[in-house]
Amino acid sequence: MPSASPAVRLGAALLGLAIAGTAAAAEHPDFTGVWGNYRAPGAAAPQRGAPQAPLPLRAEAKAKVDAYHALVDSRGDTPGGWCLGTGMPGSMLGSGGYPMEIVQHESLILVVFEAHAEIRRIYLGERADEGDLFPDRNGYSFGRWEGNKLIVETTHLKEAVDQGRYPHSENAKVVEEYSLVVNDDGTKVLTSNMTMTDPDFYTQTITAEKKWQLQPGVRLLPYECNEPTWEEHLERLRQGQGEAVSSR
Amino acid sequence: MSPKIRMRMLLAVAIGLVPFAASAHHSAVRFDLTIRDNMVTGIVKEFAPANPHTKIVLTVTDEKGTRDIEYEGHSRNNYYRGGWREGMVKVGDKITLNAAPTRDGSDGGYALGVIAADGTKF
Repeated sequence: MPSASPAVRLGAALLGLAIAGTAAAAEHPDFTGVWGNYRAPGAAAPQRGAPQAPLPLRAEAKAKVDAYHALVDSRGDTPGGWCLGTGMPGSMLGSGGYPMEIVQHESLILVVFEAHAEIRRIYLGERADEGDLFPDRNGYSFGRWEGNKLIVETTHLKEAVDQGRYPHSENAKVVEEYSLVVNDDGTKVLTSNMTMTDPDFYTQTITAEKKWQLQPGVRLLPYECNEPTWEEHLERLRQGQGEAVSSR
Repeated sequence: MSPKIRMRMLLAVAIGLVPFAASAHHSAVRFDLTIRDNMVTGIVKEFAPANPHTKIVLTVTDEKGTRDIEYEGHSRNNYYRGGWREGMVKVGDKITLNAAPTRDGSDGGYALGVIAADGTKF
């Protein structure tokens, strides 16, 4: 039997690698798609403003959070009202009721929230060097697969007293465990169990569960928020009113 | 979009929108959102769908006279998911808002829903 040429052997080897890579990717659940808040069949709509259990905040942290609310609550100001993304963990726990889209790659999972076109990147490949990281509202997220579960650890967060439910310090660490199930009615449900550890702000570990359901046929819409302010600024410039509207 | 999905999106509007309705210029805290059946009819002077909120100016005539009143509304995205489409509301149209009134009784409100001139509700 004649032996294969080097080119043929190389092609076969590359094909083998490609097949192996595909198989490895297929071993993990695929979270790709547009997701909305999950509601169990027949369940009542959640009530806004329902009382929530007090948080186990340390005294200094509570003072910071209380000062923030004293400043903005009577005005109704929120980060979202100022076209600012929610940040972790609020982005992943609700994002204002708007859908989110997940695009899953082998070494990166992109989470695109419709609200404020906020983007969260979950890296699965090589962890970034510490010197290349800096604090951000969504922090730095690094994930790994454990069987069918995706474990995501988020650090390098900015202190955020403006988080709607779980304010935190810059030293907060969020660990999420994601799993995908298919309900009897065929609905794909993505569940995240979150644990936030933040000794600077809390006397106890914070836990929360969030469920999303796949929304076939739904597409994310553009969410440009600052355009009216920009247009207003341009109009004032056209009218010779100079810097009457300042950037923010 | 299937009716089931559209209904889910509408419900998302109902429960999730308002936190994004506050802006640098306006704030949902000004409105009494517990009042959900205050219907206001007027002539459209401006309809500017935007995120995080939509600006609606109607020329309204009531017992106080005729004047232009500015209303704040849901985000453009949520109006879209509720059935609004580009060109559906035009200057000069007679439309009706389901507008949560201001807490202090001044002119204005938060447009929880809109009935366009052709009867389309969103």
